[in-house]
Amino acid sequence: MRGLRATRATRATWAVVGKELVVLWTSPLPYVVGALLHIVLGTLYVNQLQARGQALAQPLFPLAGFLLIALVPILTMRTLADEARTGSLDLLHAVPVPTRALVVGKWLASWVTTLVVLAPATLFAVLLAWWGNPDRGPIIAGFAGLALLSAAVAGVGLLASSLTSSQPVAAMVGFFVALLLWFAHVGSETTSAGPLLAGFSISERLRSFAGGAIDSSDVGFFVLLTAAALVAAATVVQGRRLR
Amino acid sequence: MIEAKGLSRSFGGREVVHDVDFRVGPGEVVGFLGPNGAGKTTTIRMLLGLLRPDRGSADVSRPVGYLPEQFAGYDGMSVRGYLRFMARMKQPPSNEVDAAMARAGVADLARRPLARLSKGQRQRVGLAQALLGSPPAFVLDEPMQGLDPKQVVDARHVVQSLAHEGGAAVLLSTHVLAEAAAICDRVVVIVKGRVVAEERPGDAADLEARFLRLVGQAELA
Repeated sequence: MRGLRATRATRATWAVVGKELVVLWTSPLPYVVGALLHIVLGTLYVNQLQARGQALAQPLFPLAGFLLIALVPILTMRTLADEARTGSLDLLHAVPVPTRALVVGKWLASWVTTLVVLAPATLFAVLLAWWGNPDRGPIIAGFAGLALLSAAVAGVGLLASSLTSSQPVAAMVGFFVALLLWFAHVGSETTSAGPLLAGFSISERLRSFAGGAIDSSDVGFFVLLTAAALVAAATVVQGRRLR
Repeated sequence: MIEAKGLSRSFGGREVVHDVDFRVGPGEVVGFLGPNGAGKTTTIRMLLGLLRPDRGSADVSRPVGYLPEQFAGYDGMSVRGYLRFMARMKQPPSNEVDAAMARAGVADLARRPLARLSKGQRQRVGLAQALLGSPPAFVLDEPMQGLDPKQVVDARHVVQSLAHEGGAAVLLSTHVLAEAAAICDRVVVIVKGRVVAEERPGDAADLEARFLRLVGQAELA
């Protein structure tokens, strides 16, 4: 019985992933977000390269990371907020679709979409390799860091989307929380809780990846942050399911 | 079977549904009538397990085919894509999608995105998703909304056949008394959160007169 439920949840999760991917990619959102990301990222990165006079990959990652915390909540804002607004969520609850399948499926689709949107940024690394001989370690680690950061911000965005039925509010809340996490280390030297707060800084964690180190504590942090956001989102959805 | 047993629910200290009792047996179409704000949607949400009752309980055979009042779906998906998704959620045999589309009269719209459907066409897609999995119970909230006269006739036939041929219990919420008179075996009238009558509908004019009298009496009370 338990195995049957797990199989059903897995099947439902993949069905939600497929549905979300269709809904996302038939909307203009990923294309607009992708265009914005690469226009701004390309401009800022080329400026950095010109200023430094060196063909380095490292400046790419904090720039891309910051842009992702602004843009990923736009990709996730619709996920639960719009379903709550239109009543589609009620229909799924009435089936009933397992909450876990709903939340994980939506997060997975948002994350995959973010990775696809981000993928053209690897061209910068290809171009660097073509012109020079950059160290590949930091490039691979940097992109791994961006992938993990995207996963966490997609989780935070999904949580924000579960809290409201307004898409703009969901995007703003998601961005605000991600922004707090990005700057969590700022001023950490001045307070006793500083080291703890700095530990929550996603920009500091990303910096470690961009330096070429894939530290298990950094990986664990992003995995835990993602899992915590998804559990919180599932709790909110479950709570709204039966008020 | 669909059964409400003493369902009550308050919002902000105001009781919007009070001690609602009724039963829809297999093979029966029961109309759920009431003026706006009477507590129909709140009762339906409690029956479906979407709202926790303060008192009482609901007993509905699962899976339940549910058509919400304002069916939305997902604009970017095609009709077939959407129904396949819902079928995967409900897990009926895979060939049921085509059968449900044919029964709800949307087979010719299979490849059209939901965003490009009229209100009536969208409503029929909603009806098709409710049919998936051949549920033993249906809760249909204003299923004829937005349909043209021919589609209304077709949809009435589908709803009646669900109960009379398929043996399902069908609860149908509607504002249109003629519709209730045409297809329901019984009607439950709810006013101000209380069931004020449960009877056979009779003809449309008779039902209209009785409904207005019941609502008037309840308003005065």
